Amino acid sequence: MYKLFLCFRYLTRKGIVIFPILAVWLCVSMLIVVYSIMTGFVDRVRDAGKELMGDVVIQSTLAAGFPHYAGLQKSLAKLPCVAASAPVISTYGIMNLPEYQTSAEVQVLGIKPAMQSKVSSFGKSLFWQYRAPLDAARDLRDAAFPLTGKELADYARTKLKTALVIYRRHEKEIRKLKPIKGHGWIADIQRHWQVIAREDYRQAEYHLNRVFRDLRFVEKLAPNAVIENDAALRKTLVPPAPTFTPPAKALRDYPDKQAEPKYGCVVGIDIGLYTRDRFGHYHRPPGVRFSPVILTVVPITLSSTLATPQSHRFQIVDDSRTKVFTVDRHTVYAPFHVVQKMAFMQQQDLLSGGVRPARCSEIEIRVHHDQRQSAVNAARDQIAAAVRRYALKHPGMESTGLTVMTWLQEQSQFIAAVDKERDLITFLLGMMSLVVIVVIFLIFFMIVRDKTRDIGIIKSIGGSEIGVGSIFVLYGFLISSAGSLLGVVTGTLFVIHDNWIHDDILWRIFGITIWNRRVYIFSRIPNQINPQTVVTIAALAVVAGLLGAIIPALIAASRDPVHALRYE
Amino acid sequence: MANLLELVNIHKSFRMGTEDVQVLAGASLSIAPGEFVALIGASGSGKSTFLHIAGALEKPDSGSVLYQGRDILRSGFFETYRFRNQHVGFVFQLYHLLPELNVLENTLLPAMVAAPWYKALIRARPGRKLAISMLTDMGLGGRLKHRPSELSGGERQRVAIARALINHPSLLLADEPTGNLDPRTGQGIIDLLVRRRRDQKCGLLLVTHDADIARLADRVVRLEDGKITPA
Ligand SMILES: Nc1ncnc2c1ncn2[C@@H]1O[C@H](COP(=O)(O)OP(=O)(O)OP(=O)(O)O)[C@@H](O)[C@H]1O
Ligand SMILES: [Mg+2]
Repeated sequence: MYKLFLCFRYLTRKGIVIFPILAVWLCVSMLIVVYSIMTGFVDRVRDAGKELMGDVVIQSTLAAGFPHYAGLQKSLAKLPCVAASAPVISTYGIMNLPEYQTSAEVQVLGIKPAMQSKVSSFGKSLFWQYRAPLDAARDLRDAAFPLTGKELADYARTKLKTALVIYRRHEKEIRKLKPIKGHGWIADIQRHWQVIAREDYRQAEYHLNRVFRDLRFVEKLAPNAVIENDAALRKTLVPPAPTFTPPAKALRDYPDKQAEPKYGCVVGIDIGLYTRDRFGHYHRPPGVRFSPVILTVVPITLSSTLATPQSHRFQIVDDSRTKVFTVDRHTVYAPFHVVQKMAFMQQQDLLSGGVRPARCSEIEIRVHHDQRQSAVNAARDQIAAAVRRYALKHPGMESTGLTVMTWLQEQSQFIAAVDKERDLITFLLGMMSLVVIVVIFLIFFMIVRDKTRDIGIIKSIGGSEIGVGSIFVLYGFLISSAGSLLGVVTGTLFVIHDNWIHDDILWRIFGITIWNRRVYIFSRIPNQINPQTVVTIAALAVVAGLLGAIIPALIAASRDPVHALRYE
Repeated sequence: MANLLELVNIHKSFRMGTEDVQVLAGASLSIAPGEFVALIGASGSGKSTFLHIAGALEKPDSGSVLYQGRDILRSGFFETYRFRNQHVGFVFQLYHLLPELNVLENTLLPAMVAAPWYKALIRARPGRKLAISMLTDMGLGGRLKHRPSELSGGERQRVAIARALINHPSLLLADEPTGNLDPRTGQGIIDLLVRRRRDQKCGLLLVTHDADIARLADRVVRLEDGKITPA
């Protein structure tokens, strides 16, 4: 086995091996990092899109929607594949905040909140009715359960005190900061430290607000009620179903009794009322919740003409974060029957006598399935057949152009764009890998040139063509394996700790921000590692190394020994 | 007694640009087992080429090379490798040691080439004992772990000789082994070659320019105009 032996000697006694190993190492870790983060991102976007609406959606091509939706829902409920369904009114309008003197174009969705939560992620997207109580339960899970409501409130109060101390400390530090004058890198570093101090202060403030919020939640618990553990706490804090009804206190506090709104609404988080810090936390200024909102909707008649705009006063009760930016940026959710009336889709008595039945824009359906898209597709086909049967029996339904789609079809444009992005990235990475193969090839080529004389020597002492060739193939294999192994280790470590590297190394030390949480939908950088991807990338790198080595190895093998020996 | 090696009517020409240069034109030589033959000739007369052909490193245009009666030019690949590995040992003017290997490893390389792969697994490096005793005998006992770049020319050539002898070849082919050495060191190398040849009872074909060295040989031949003539 002189081949293995020589190969090892070349590896251990030639400094040049550092370069191909380094090249493979860097490339493998880079591919793992970029591919993992990119697919993590795409998957999250996809998941958010999937949870946004039901698995299957029945829609009408008419802006005025379709009738008999309640009957249709009832008949669909008999299908074994249907788990839940909810009607939705979708229309466009203007949202006006009189207190802030701002207005925005919005999509107004009329939904039945409890019903809607059963088909989509709506309930889980709400901050005050889901996220915040869940955070409270999480923040207090280290309490010494079982506790009574009063004891838990006391515990929350001690947490608040600690947070307050930390906050005060940061506040004091902030007060001490003086504007840095002057130029040059020392001043730059000092300025950067000030930025960090301010951010830390913001975080302390955020934390203080959060613990304070936690306290408000547990204060609502009955003082004598015993809470067994954090799961029980979660259960009591998180309301079973979302609602649009504003709390009585909020109504009482409202100054203008005359214009007192009866209905609540939910606004998308990115609609512009909240600011976001560099860690992706939303800061909710105290006044915004429960502030009045005027929604104006232009109804569309059956003959597709515009009717008089309809306005109604609402009160913000919650904000929703679906993590689909266009949705969170442009959507306001309001009670189904109110929006239905505003859009002229309620049941109406006709002048000619008779009744025009109530209508809705779409029915969203959650189906029973095992995560496989094929199951959703099968359910869609069953639902479509049921809709067709139902429409035949009910006059005025066929002409509304009902379509039945899965969430994937409904969002195909959006998902396709994301997938295309991933394809592009993969393509670019592939190009980079090609460059790596060329680099490895060149390095090996140079090594083989450098080893011409050795090849002659090995042949003169009886080494065969295959023997000489396999030394260099083995050499390539070992180099690319070593590089791949290092790349897998560093790449995986990097991906797993990418948030830490980004926040505590890049930003804190160098002041660099790549993942801008103020802008990105997701606060955390994807840090999921898919073992299959890692193995594939590593295997590809080894194959690339082999390919890069094989041609120089063939050249080495076919070298005329005498020619090689005469080479000086 | 049958000849150890017999080169018969060897022709070899090289293409230099547009014209062919005839280097060997019917050169013939036979070497008996254990015989020491010195090959002399002007520079560029084709001595190295002849030696390479004798060691199956190069193929002649025509003629035959018989080793113990068998034609090595017409035998298979593996027989050629075996011939180079087992039956001849080369010593070059420029030593031609592998720079990444130390003295002992360089010496052992032909033995390792010959050994089956599983020998490497049990770490019984074939020929290790012989190599150490040979190197010690040559005065290199303290330098087994040294790399060729740390040795003098004479020491390197001694390593090359040890390497040539490790597989007990029956023929040594030496191409001006003293060409790069000062006369005294060269003399030492030649003494070593002659002594070793006697101990291991192998033939020696030695190319040299030095008449003093040639005088030590059993027979001296001259390469002139592509032919071998007794000198
Ligand atoms: N691969 C080759 N291509 C072209 N010409 C070659 C080649 N090898 C050798 N020659 C030529 O063949 C001739 C003989 O070369 P060789 O090296 O055998 O001479 P030599 O007798 O060993 O000379 P020296 O004593 O200088 O070592 C030279 O003219 C040389 O230029
Ligand atoms: Mg020569």
